[in-house]
Amino acid sequence: MTLTINGHPTDAAPRAGQCLRTFLRDQGWFGVKKGCDTGDCGACTVHVDGEPVHSCIFPAFRAKGREVRTIEGMRGADGLHPVQEAFIAAQGFQCGFCTPGMVMTTAALTQGQRADLPIALKGNICRCSGYRAVEDAVHGIAHTEQAPQDAPSCGVSLPDPANHAVVTGAVRYTMDVPVDDAAHLKILRSPHPHARIRAIDASGAYDVPGVIAVLTHADAPQACFSSARHEVSKDDPDDLRILDDVVRFVGQRVAAVVAESEGAAEEGCRRIKVDYEILPAVFDPEAAMAPGAPILHHKDPATSRIGAPERNVVGEVHGMLGDVEAGFAEADAIYEGNYASQRIQHGHLETLGSIGWLEADGTLSLRTSSQVPFLVRNALADVLSLDPALVRVACGRVGGGFGAKQEMLTEDIVALAVLKTGRKVKHEFTREEQFTAATCRHPVRVRVMLGARRDGTLTAMQIRVVSDAGAYGNHSVGTLFHGCNEVLQLYRCPNKKVDGFAAYTNTLPSGAFRGYGLSQTVFAMESALDELARTIGVDPFELRRLNVVRPGDAMRAYSDHPHDVEFGSYGLDQCLDLVEAALARDESVPPDGAEWATGQGMAAAMIDTIPPRGHFSDARVRLTEDGAFELTVGTVEFGNGTSTVHRQIAASVLATTPDKIRLVQGDTTQLGHDTGAFGSTGIVVAGLATERAARAMAERLLAEAAGAAGVAPEACHLEDGAVRAGATAVPLSALAAQAGGTITVEGHSTGSPRSVAFNVHGFKVAVNRGTGELRILKSVQAADAGRVLNPMQCRGQVEGGVAQALGAAMSENLRIGPDGVVETPNFRSYLMPRFVDIPRTEVLFADTYDRLGPFGAKSMSESPFNPVAPALANAVRDATGVRLTHPPFAPDTVHAALAASGAACE
Amino acid sequence: MEEARAAFLAVDGDASYISGGQSLVPALAMRLQAPAVLVDLSGIADLRGVELQGETLRIGALTRHADALTHPLIARHAPLLNAAAPFVAHPAIRNRGTLGGSVSLADPASEFPAMMLAMGAQMEIFGEDGFRRVPADDYFIDLYQTALEPGDILTALYVPSVGPHHRWAFDELARRRGDYAMVGAGILAHMDGALVESARIALFSVGSTPVRAPGAEAALAGRLLDAKTIADAQRALDDDLDPPDDEHIPAAMRRHLARVLLGRLLQRLGETP
Repeated sequence: MTLTINGHPTDAAPRAGQCLRTFLRDQGWFGVKKGCDTGDCGACTVHVDGEPVHSCIFPAFRAKGREVRTIEGMRGADGLHPVQEAFIAAQGFQCGFCTPGMVMTTAALTQGQRADLPIALKGNICRCSGYRAVEDAVHGIAHTEQAPQDAPSCGVSLPDPANHAVVTGAVRYTMDVPVDDAAHLKILRSPHPHARIRAIDASGAYDVPGVIAVLTHADAPQACFSSARHEVSKDDPDDLRILDDVVRFVGQRVAAVVAESEGAAEEGCRRIKVDYEILPAVFDPEAAMAPGAPILHHKDPATSRIGAPERNVVGEVHGMLGDVEAGFAEADAIYEGNYASQRIQHGHLETLGSIGWLEADGTLSLRTSSQVPFLVRNALADVLSLDPALVRVACGRVGGGFGAKQEMLTEDIVALAVLKTGRKVKHEFTREEQFTAATCRHPVRVRVMLGARRDGTLTAMQIRVVSDAGAYGNHSVGTLFHGCNEVLQLYRCPNKKVDGFAAYTNTLPSGAFRGYGLSQTVFAMESALDELARTIGVDPFELRRLNVVRPGDAMRAYSDHPHDVEFGSYGLDQCLDLVEAALARDESVPPDGAEWATGQGMAAAMIDTIPPRGHFSDARVRLTEDGAFELTVGTVEFGNGTSTVHRQIAASVLATTPDKIRLVQGDTTQLGHDTGAFGSTGIVVAGLATERAARAMAERLLAEAAGAAGVAPEACHLEDGAVRAGATAVPLSALAAQAGGTITVEGHSTGSPRSVAFNVHGFKVAVNRGTGELRILKSVQAADAGRVLNPMQCRGQVEGGVAQALGAAMSENLRIGPDGVVETPNFRSYLMPRFVDIPRTEVLFADTYDRLGPFGAKSMSESPFNPVAPALANAVRDATGVRLTHPPFAPDTVHAALAASGAACE
Repeated sequence: MEEARAAFLAVDGDASYISGGQSLVPALAMRLQAPAVLVDLSGIADLRGVELQGETLRIGALTRHADALTHPLIARHAPLLNAAAPFVAHPAIRNRGTLGGSVSLADPASEFPAMMLAMGAQMEIFGEDGFRRVPADDYFIDLYQTALEPGDILTALYVPSVGPHHRWAFDELARRRGDYAMVGAGILAHMDGALVESARIALFSVGSTPVRAPGAEAALAGRLLDAKTIADAQRALDDDLDPPDDEHIPAAMRRHLARVLLGRLLQRLGETP
């Protein structure tokens, strides 16, 4: 058929049943993004004859004779479309994966629709930003600043260096490369929660034209590993095979089919016959630990490092400081309560996926969507017994992570398929697979007991934590330890006790998720503290002020083991004051009507700025022959903003502007090592390595110039493009030539010592006692991020964290049915916040300077998430008298809770 | 239409008609359906157009959701469709989704099918014996089951035009704004000042089909729309409903929400001049 795409007459035949999205991408228009396959996210929005449509649910054959415009066609002869300019000026994105759809939708809005964005943007999901930046872009409000010519750029709201590429659709995410020569891999997944595979008959699959290979457990190495990726790979239990002969959750890989087309691979999967021996399954972590429960992993604890396989315990933590019995005995008030946080999904818009191939020299090369390319390389080498030097892992821009991509969930099977077939192989998750076969946040139950004296002083804190690991251990031990740590470390109480368990169940494996175990325990603890404050009649802000740690205090959670956490700076006192003042001055008007009850609540949270036990980054700065700088880091950009800030750091040291620093990132062949961007480390670890590399370069340049000019290095200083040595300015290119063409220096950081960051959140809410509707009247978060290196971006991180946490608090719930099947496998049933759902949050920063972080900065990626749910629950409690303990607080849940306690009205 | 029917029947019903495709294509993408053949209705001119025929508005089945928002004849003569349209999906979907497609699918959580009931519309269907018209009250049979037989094509919706004495109201309660409703309803009332002469009330997301509320309608008929009448209608509504007791929204909750929603809508009806 013929059609016009972005003004180009095109003649191409769509495949039977093909949608317009894949058809356009086949033609090389990679600006059209896949977010969901079902018309729910808007990332694939294009214009057909001038009208926006979701190209994923627009049959390709209907484009015949029409004019199709994608993001690549928005640019006019005289420059960018005004909406593209506006998204640059406001930086209306973080990872940018939703941006093509946002721009296409916005460009087609009428004046009336612009005035009603909650309705007009209903079809476009952004997972990163919390929508404030999107709203500002639509309304033409600018936020980006220019780099100052004569001052360091740290502290300035510089734009993402990829902004132009993001808004024009030119930026390349993982799958935005031609794959004409690639074979496609699809997975046959288990329909049973627990079964042994007796036999697999793949002959039917081979009857499908185009099927190249079927991989089963017989093709997979015997060795077990963990899909979790950490600097120390032995931190996580080895309980997973690439393909196993026992399946332990509905959705687990059974076989992989490699074929010339996705369709053939999928049909091949349908034709495979599997003989299963059904095994008993267990879906509840307490039940799984009880005697007689079916055992998931019959493995040797010594080699697998599973805590107690015979009890389905992945790992446990027990610890006590002081004497909690004595602490409760001296308490005037004791509170005890049970809380449970549900399973939620990361919802990054770019699904997991990788493309693998063999280079001419035999190197196994992968292009993947990962936060940890170096750790994936190491794991592939380990699992497949390859020389790490012959494995390359590289990333394009990554469309959101939130911890989900600190796992190896596609790379292993692609690598195996490449090695088996010799072909280039592509494997891309569907949105459904994201919900049924990726990872989720751990569902966690917490029992909290607190004791306090009449004046509010805490005398005892005790928690019992049960975390549902799902079928594989991966991050369960790490999240358990982390989840039991800062939540207690935040309070100076002499008597603390922890008992924590992570247990296997026959459900979707839990994994790393923003906050890494803390959001669930913080919800419980901060809710409990609110109840305690009410019991003894102390204001919740005062209760925190009385009990929180302060510089000089030992930071202890539940043991006296030495650690490397210090107060690099302390801004918690400011955060508490800022939120309290913001709530006090708020003049929002509650809705009319006696059925509305209003109230306010707050919660605090603390986070160590870096994960424990070492987090390593190399960074390299090279002065090129033309006198420009090239900065190489391991960190991938997935919306966290590190590519902006790393250049700001380097430029600030090197007395230049960030645009003169070329960034190379996320490729294992370009650098020694980088643990990866997780645990909030993009700035505080890789940024510190960057600062050190830049300082080494500065020192070297001064020495070179001093030598050339015959003056002492102390008489030299850096200028933009030159070194001033006495009266002369030696151009950088001359220094490069003098040094033999280029100068290369490196910097390293080790992730120790670590600092702490703080977040305090406040809400005012109105609750409809007739319907359970929860309306947020005011949302404010104060953050101690140390020195804020890029205020616009850091604000975005906070807003995005708050929005994601509001989804978890109000609507998101990855439900698994009694048969172990995920009941919410798409964005229609898994309710992520849209524009309409997210209030604007006032973001305030404490004024501190962290002596451990680069240029005074702390981490601020995960932590904004953590105090949100308890602050909201505390506000609802204040409004209605009802304590909500099981998010999400959807209207039906809230109304049921109100009705149960007699607080509802007709 | 003959040709489309023939194509559909030629594969023993292993076919789907495709109109806007905004429900069908996601179902295909989720592999919930895999018909051998898609029969495209979009080229049939007779399925298009909106025109006033005497006191009745004929809405061609291919009329898009977006038109329900913008078409002046729909706004004037079938205002409940206009009122419901902003709640239906989102703009990009409304640009492609059709009213006929929505009424054919008859999703019990969907707005437009229920409004057919509230408006007392008739569905024109082309089938084995040519054209027939089925009143909305007889059209919805069970979950995704309608008066449409295999091969039948819904061709047009015939909606009685509202007059100067009609008032209407539409709203829904959702878990998240803009989502599938936990309960939704539309009311079309014939009124003389504050006196309700007659009313049609249709609810959705309360059962396996859109549901009319004859008890509540009777409680309103011939009464002044005051607080007592509203309370009586809310009480009567209980017997009109038999919501499913699903694990996430218990039946009692849906009943409660339906009462709250009916109260709000009647309140609003009384406020409009």
